Amino acid sequence: MESFILLLGWAGVFLPTAFGAIGSIIGCGRAGQAASGALLDVESGYGRLVGSSALPSSQTIYGIVVTMQFNRAVSLDSAPGLFSIGLLVGLALLFSAIVQGSCCAAAINTTKSKPEVFGLAIAPAAIVEGFAVFAFIFALIVGGSIPGGTAG
Amino acid sequence: MTAATNYHWFISSLPHMPRSFDVEHVPISGIRLQERLRMLGDDDKVIVEQVQRFLLWDRQQPERTDEDVQMEYDRLMSSVSNPLVRDIITYRMDVRTITSALRRRRLGLEPPTAVGQYVDHIREHWIHSDFRLQREHPWISGVREALDASKPLSVERQLLNATWDRWVKLSDGFYFSFETILLYLARWEIVDRWTRLDESAGRQKFENLLAQTMASGGGIK
Repeated sequence: MESFILLLGWAGVFLPTAFGAIGSIIGCGRAGQAASGALLDVESGYGRLVGSSALPSSQTIYGIVVTMQFNRAVSLDSAPGLFSIGLLVGLALLFSAIVQGSCCAAAINTTKSKPEVFGLAIAPAAIVEGFAVFAFIFALIVGGSIPGGTAG
Repeated sequence: MTAATNYHWFISSLPHMPRSFDVEHVPISGIRLQERLRMLGDDDKVIVEQVQRFLLWDRQQPERTDEDVQMEYDRLMSSVSNPLVRDIITYRMDVRTITSALRRRRLGLEPPTAVGQYVDHIREHWIHSDFRLQREHPWISGVREALDASKPLSVERQLLNATWDRWVKLSDGFYFSFETILLYLARWEIVDRWTRLDESAGRQKFENLLAQTMASGGGIK
């Protein structure tokens, strides 16, 4: 039983990075496919289309930072906290990256025929990013109170 | 293993559909559209071909008997399983049946025996000007007036407008999915039909003007 709890603790350390990366893969993939398709229908502004498809990559970075913050000697005291917070922030990063990818794809699709609305079209993706940032920051704050806070 | 469609890529590669079908050109030429459709996954290609075949059949206006329409409807309904495609077929058949009923009543004929959910309803409400379908099909009164005034272009415009609105409303719920492609095709077909109508009307007008000029042009040296 103790081993299992320790296993969960270690999983909690790495879950933010893993889930953030999975979300970024799906989100960037969707937006990137939309950008590639839009390239067939526009004569200029290619860089902006392809560049905006990279927005969902930030969730992986947030995940890495949380993992670095959580990286410590996992004990029976710290494992439950690491797992709970790691899982929840990981899920938040996962879903935000996927939804942000869809927002970026929609923005790319809109921008190709009305480039002047790019700023407004990309706003929903920025709002989704804001929620990912909230989850990231509060994971760091709450994670600070987990026992064994100094890196192991 | 069959290839799957990449919907995000495919839909972003298509030019935007205009807000109204009353434009000068289709957003993408028929040839280019067919080229793009070849990029669809194998399963999707089969369904798209069904839709295109139906839309082509629907836009051709030869003299068809009610039995011909009934046979085609039965054939389609037994071969098509996609709910949106069935919805597209049903709606177009309903419009066809109601328009046919309006025309037949104007000519003093019996109610049509064509297909769709409204055949019995129309028979029951034959004496009502809008067959008591105005709420579901608000275009009926306008089309009836245009028929009475012998304005075929106005009839066509109103029927296309009603169908366009229907496809736009349906497409609101879809973004990067196969349904988006189906509804794009359905709307493209309306724009194509209208631009060709416009083109033939323009050509007719030009020929009339030419004929008038030739008739009165004896003084040209």
